[in-house]
Amino acid sequence: MRAAAAMGLVIAATVAAPWVIGEGVQRFLAEVFLMLAMAEMWNLLAGYAGLVSMGQQVFVGLGAYSLFFASMSLNVAPYWVLPLALLVCAGVAAVIALFLFRLREAYFAIGMWVFSEIVSLVVSKSEWLGGERGMGLRTARLVAARWLEPVTFWLSVAIAGGAVVGTYLLMKSRVGLGLMTVRDNDLAATSIGVDVWRNRFIAFVVSAAGTGLAGAVSFNATLYVAPGFAFDPNWVVAMMFIVLMGGIGTLEGPIVGTVIYFALREVVTVVFGLPGTWYLVGLGLVAMATMLYAPAGLWPMARDRFRVEWLSVRRRPSVRSGVAAVTWGRELRR
Amino acid sequence: MIWVETIVNGVLVGGLYGLLGVGLALIVGVMRVVNVSHGEFIVLAAFMGVSLSGLVPSIHPLVLLVPIVLVFFALGYVMQAALFNKIVARPDPFAAILLTFGLAVVMRNVMLEGYGADPRTLTAGTLAHASVRIFGLSIGVLPLLMLGVSTALFVALQLVLTRTTFGRIVRATADNREVVRLMGVNPGRVYNVVMGLALALASVAGVLLAIRSNFTAYSGVERLLIAFEVVVLGGLGSFWGAMLGGILLGVVQLVGLKFDPNAGPLYAHLLFFVGVLLRPNGLFGVRT
Repeated sequence: MRAAAAMGLVIAATVAAPWVIGEGVQRFLAEVFLMLAMAEMWNLLAGYAGLVSMGQQVFVGLGAYSLFFASMSLNVAPYWVLPLALLVCAGVAAVIALFLFRLREAYFAIGMWVFSEIVSLVVSKSEWLGGERGMGLRTARLVAARWLEPVTFWLSVAIAGGAVVGTYLLMKSRVGLGLMTVRDNDLAATSIGVDVWRNRFIAFVVSAAGTGLAGAVSFNATLYVAPGFAFDPNWVVAMMFIVLMGGIGTLEGPIVGTVIYFALREVVTVVFGLPGTWYLVGLGLVAMATMLYAPAGLWPMARDRFRVEWLSVRRRPSVRSGVAAVTWGRELRR
Repeated sequence: MIWVETIVNGVLVGGLYGLLGVGLALIVGVMRVVNVSHGEFIVLAAFMGVSLSGLVPSIHPLVLLVPIVLVFFALGYVMQAALFNKIVARPDPFAAILLTFGLAVVMRNVMLEGYGADPRTLTAGTLAHASVRIFGLSIGVLPLLMLGVSTALFVALQLVLTRTTFGRIVRATADNREVVRLMGVNPGRVYNVVMGLALALASVAGVLLAIRSNFTAYSGVERLLIAFEVVVLGGLGSFWGAMLGGILLGVVQLVGLKFDPNAGPLYAHLLFFVGVLLRPNGLFGVRT
């Protein structure tokens, strides 16, 4: 009941927000929420499914390009073809998983990166997609100008919320349980019959779809897409740093990481007025320090220190399930 | 005839690609980690070459390789000791990827601040344009020299690893770091030397590649991908495989560029993809 009330409040606040906050703030918040969504999707892969990918930018780009291409060839407002961006990314992920899942750990990570480079190079050579120059979103005129920012804002909140809640539900499901057992001990997991490949496949496809959706909305907001931006490895750099700093393998970690990521950016570039390169240097150093001294990330440290739990997917045996297990055991013995 | 020349040039550049990969292969083979900042070190060596030849223009860039290699050996040793040894024993396979990834981002952006984003190249004087005619083909002296250097380094590395006590210790450490400890070997120190060697090899490749083609602070990504493709294509831990993988990539890339001049590294990437698809353990790797 309280959860439902809180949810309603959040939705009401989100819907009302564009009438209260300015367009600049909306744009900034949209960027924050989309980044959070991508980070949660990367976390689903790396933190739960044990698949570190350095090529997730391929889905950002594919999502953006599917949206632009579909919207302009069908001549409809870009928002209507968003589901298509999701489907394209899920489809591509399902196909390449068949091949790339043969690679393990670092090889998978860099194999994904090479895949992303291949797609990026092919797109740069495709004149029907604007080639290296990219293309503008002409169909944006089908949307009233004053609705552009608010709709992007709403979509980004919805996608970020969907990413967090979706990952939470997935991790509470059988698939999630399977993933976590594999992550913790793959030998034990396979010996009790967990289908490693299938669980990883589901996580990979879901993650690709979510990343693609966030990428599509992100480039829909800038009204312009080019291979250099869409398939920029800095997308995955950002996802990675957010997840690592916040706490890999926790749902709250990426939220904490996103806050730090943007706070650091604003402090370095706005308060100190330094160029973006120094911000990236700072990020790299923070990531290295995290890996060396707090490999679990900041959220797990804070959680253990202050004993708080929030979106934990940890399972506790309840009294009822304990009783059920005992009676079930008795039944078996009879 | 032009095709034969393209293929020969592909072989020559491929030897260099093999050299890019062999440093990475060494680290993978011994430490079982992938150094994602390998490409940035290759580019750093190239920048160092540019700076040094700016300071002492009278000395040929190939001579400058000597101090650069020494500096990179020291750099590798210190880095392994100060950073990577802290995580090498961790069971989490991602710790190393992520640590070196952070380092790569730091290095790339510091180089970008220090040297700017303009493409650079190392000039090799008259040697750069000298060529010899072999069987009616005009072949550059410099690329030939590069293939010679790569091959010599491959042979030297192979001999060191198979014929010396140090090589035996390295191979033993790669097999089991706990057991060599019982024999009085400090695995951390072995790793330091191996990382030093790997970066020294990377620096040779970086400087030679900078003479051949121009580079920017962003080139590290491309270099790392080539190095990685060489390692995986050749088969993990197989040094001759790395050499052959590099040559294959070089030939495919140059032939691809002849067909399709603005393809960049597209065909090399595609070759890698197809190679991995058909033989996940590499072309020359052992099937497990």
